[in-house]
Amino acid sequence: MKYVSLVLISHSYEIVSGLKKLLNQVQPEVSVAIAGGVEGDIGTNALDIKEAIESVYSEKGVVVLFDLGSALINAEMAIEMLENNENIIIADAPLVEGAYAAVVEAGLGSSIEEVVRAGESAKELVKIND
Amino acid sequence: MIEKEITVTIENGLHARPAADFVKKVNQYKSKVELMIGDRRINAKSILQLMSVAIMEGQTIKVMTDGEDEKDALAFIDFFLQSGKES
Repeated sequence: MKYVSLVLISHSYEIVSGLKKLLNQVQPEVSVAIAGGVEGDIGTNALDIKEAIESVYSEKGVVVLFDLGSALINAEMAIEMLENNENIIIADAPLVEGAYAAVVEAGLGSSIEEVVRAGESAKELVKIND
Repeated sequence: MIEKEITVTIENGLHARPAADFVKKVNQYKSKVELMIGDRRINAKSILQLMSVAIMEGQTIKVMTDGEDEKDALAFIDFFLQSGKES
């Protein structure tokens, strides 16, 4: 794949499903996979995350974004379970703004480091200027 | 360096989808591209900087391009911000 891929993790399926729709409209060329909820309920699951990463795995790398604390533990477990876990980075980023910035950056053909930086920089974003 | 004031007529302003498209196309030029929105000066090649300003329909902004393809870059931006499309 030409571009860095993204994996979105949330405790809620609807959150990442809606976010993926937005990202696909903004940047259709970038592959986005999601893992949200556990069997229709709220939660995250390491196996689902592992499968999501595998489904969009790209030589250029995969950036993982998550919503809340415990999703991080499952994301780390998922990456440990993968046979090939090179070039997968979990971004310390807000989910919506971070994913938007990351997908645009990825669509420019940027490196995984640049995509992670774009996502993480969204934390500093000031959304209301007076 | 060349600059021009442009009144944005792209329908509904530079919202999520056109902003992403804008950044992608502006990055294809070699020149440095900056926008002056009110008293804020931003790098138009950075999606994060673009996300930090809201460019609305009807607003007048200043566009500055600097580099070997500065004329082409400025012409593109002029067109984009007035229609949202490339020629």
